[in-house]
Amino acid sequence: MSPSDTALLRDPGTPRATLDRPADYLHEEHTLRSWFFSTDHKRIGLLYLASITGFFVLGAIAAGLVRLALIVPNGAIFSNDTYNKLFTMHGVIMVWFFLIPSIPATFGNFLLPLMIGARDVAFPRLNLLSWYIFMTGSVFTLITLIVGGVDTGWTFYAPFSTTFSNSFVIPALIGVIIVGFSSILTGLNFVVTVHKMRAPGMTWFRMPIFIWTLYATSLIFLLATPVITMALILLIMERAFRIGIFDPTLGGDPVLFEHLFWFYSHPAVYIMVLPGMGVITELVAAFSQKKVFGYRFVAYASIGLASVTFLVWGHHMFVNGQSQLASTVFSLLSFAVAVPSAVKVYNWTATIHRGSIRLDTPMLYAMGYIGLFVLGGLTGLFLATLAIDAHLHDTYFVVAHFHYIMVGGTMLAFLGGLHYWWPKFTGRMYPETWGRVGAALIFIGFNVTFFPQFILGYLGMPRRYHTYPPEFQLLNIMSSAGATILAAGYFFPMVYLIWSLWYGKRAAANPWNAKGLEWTTTSPPPAHNFDQTPLVDFEPYGYANKVPEIG
Amino acid sequence: MAEAVGIALSEHFESVEQQREATTLGMWAWLLTELLLFAGLFLIALILRIQHPQSVTLATTHLKFWIGAANTAVLICSSFTMSGAIACSRLGWRGPMLHCMLATASLGTLFLVLKGYEYYTDYVEHMIPFLDRPYALAADPATRLFVDVYFVTTALHGLHLMTGVSILLVLTRMAARPHFLATHQNRIEIYGLYWHFIDLIWIIVFPVLYVLNR
Repeated sequence: MSPSDTALLRDPGTPRATLDRPADYLHEEHTLRSWFFSTDHKRIGLLYLASITGFFVLGAIAAGLVRLALIVPNGAIFSNDTYNKLFTMHGVIMVWFFLIPSIPATFGNFLLPLMIGARDVAFPRLNLLSWYIFMTGSVFTLITLIVGGVDTGWTFYAPFSTTFSNSFVIPALIGVIIVGFSSILTGLNFVVTVHKMRAPGMTWFRMPIFIWTLYATSLIFLLATPVITMALILLIMERAFRIGIFDPTLGGDPVLFEHLFWFYSHPAVYIMVLPGMGVITELVAAFSQKKVFGYRFVAYASIGLASVTFLVWGHHMFVNGQSQLASTVFSLLSFAVAVPSAVKVYNWTATIHRGSIRLDTPMLYAMGYIGLFVLGGLTGLFLATLAIDAHLHDTYFVVAHFHYIMVGGTMLAFLGGLHYWWPKFTGRMYPETWGRVGAALIFIGFNVTFFPQFILGYLGMPRRYHTYPPEFQLLNIMSSAGATILAAGYFFPMVYLIWSLWYGKRAAANPWNAKGLEWTTTSPPPAHNFDQTPLVDFEPYGYANKVPEIG
Repeated sequence: MAEAVGIALSEHFESVEQQREATTLGMWAWLLTELLLFAGLFLIALILRIQHPQSVTLATTHLKFWIGAANTAVLICSSFTMSGAIACSRLGWRGPMLHCMLATASLGTLFLVLKGYEYYTDYVEHMIPFLDRPYALAADPATRLFVDVYFVTTALHGLHLMTGVSILLVLTRMAARPHFLATHQNRIEIYGLYWHFIDLIWIIVFPVLYVLNR
């Protein structure tokens, strides 16, 4: 290739005709209007990607400030009130505005129609509306959190949130309720799309596992989100009009809120985890060049997890006076969650086993995910045990446990998937070396941050406290030091992915030699995804399963 | 005089049949969500009945049973007229369809008027715990919680009905135009699902709040 050719390839401003490149959704139109009023699922996916990345940065800054405050045991850096507002800001932004929409709304929107061979989701205009609803609610709450501040934690427990808190609870709740409708509409769209929009020949058991997990997630969106909507409306009623539902002095029952809240919020954990599991399954198969081991079991395990997750909410309430019988049943059902989770982990490792493994950046993230998910999952079993939970409840052990699932799990899956599908999203490759450095930094930084918190929690440091006994300082400083490594790690993909938009190598249609309909179209895909509707007459993950030669 | 009946194909669907099935399934999925929205409230009321039967009886006897019963009849009639609208739309009878839709909207409004009168009598009886009225029911917390659940549930249902009537009026106006049935007949059917669902929710609300423990 002559130097003038490479210059042409690098410059996206060069007119299409001179490049002889097929029309694609990114270059069809360039106006702002064509982005903000687009009903193309790919563009909407990228709108979500940009917005949740913004929320992630804000949530991460709040987390950084929380870790900064915990360097000293006496809480000298911020006032108690500021500290409460900071951890609430971190929790609300990360849970409601980053983790829940992260993989479903970005990768789901972009990939669901591509992977099942459809032209778009079933309701494209509703899809755009979902993004607007999401932005309305989340920006509203964000302004509340930054300008006024809320000190209830992301869980909004009553009666503190309804009676005692002097912060801006009602506007924050309104924003979260609005965002809930966006989740519901996205879930509705995905369920109908999976049922009705599959290409000819794309049977249920020919769908990629990522689609199975998205489907399970969408069911949770539909069935659980309305319950939290109702619970939060009741909170607003009580706080604004003194209609007693949760405050005992008004005739209410505070444990009722916890029931309603966790009936959504435990399934919400699987809204965050399931799509990540789907992403990891895709990565593991592509980078081992092997069929997914036990495809049907992995598919069933996704639906199984989504079902069992509705029956375990009581394990958040072991120490608040629910009956022994209820606690025992919830404990046993929580143990049952380990079964489908373990099915998935064993299937991933069996897929990797004797594959032709390529340790590119997405695979590094996938390997990191499997290790951290196992650790996070096993500590979940500790917490599901009644006697141990009485000791560990509301300590840093819990904080470490769910960060291993949410960050070690979902966040790594998100980054892995982002690198894997980046060529498909943008038509550009990311720089591989920097990708690997970033993945390694994030893995190290994450463990240094959160492993000490397991020990802190086991030793008895409660969560959400601004001060702690001086003997905990060393572990807290370790954790805060890890957070800086983690922050540096996040910095890498943010910089080089944006850089690659202009200077990255052009991506081929299928740079990973992966299977799946999304790799059969060009990178980036044309506006209607496929030149003609694909006919699916092959099984999923049709890799050759070659046994590598062992020297 | 029967008109042509049909659905205009949107570009991202392969066939009219696929489009019809997808939109109908979409509404069913939405109704599933709505059911779960109310389910928590029903569960609160039912658990209260089991745990505090006397307190709940005390609350229930203060609810206006006959207004609730009349409203149940009104909503069942409205579902009947809505079914009539759907049947007419399938046959392409635009005029009778519009009349049925208007009748449905009026019955829905009648429900709201009766409900408003019921709230007014509740207010007069010092049952509404805000607006500076001292709370006159027994100091029993479970009674108070039940009454609060009654207000929230019926208000939420009323809100759905208000939304339903508004959408129905807009839809009636759209359906009055020529060619509507030829291009968007399925909108009548999909809207019908929503209307029947609001009716169904009331059919659950009425026994759960007014009838049991009476």
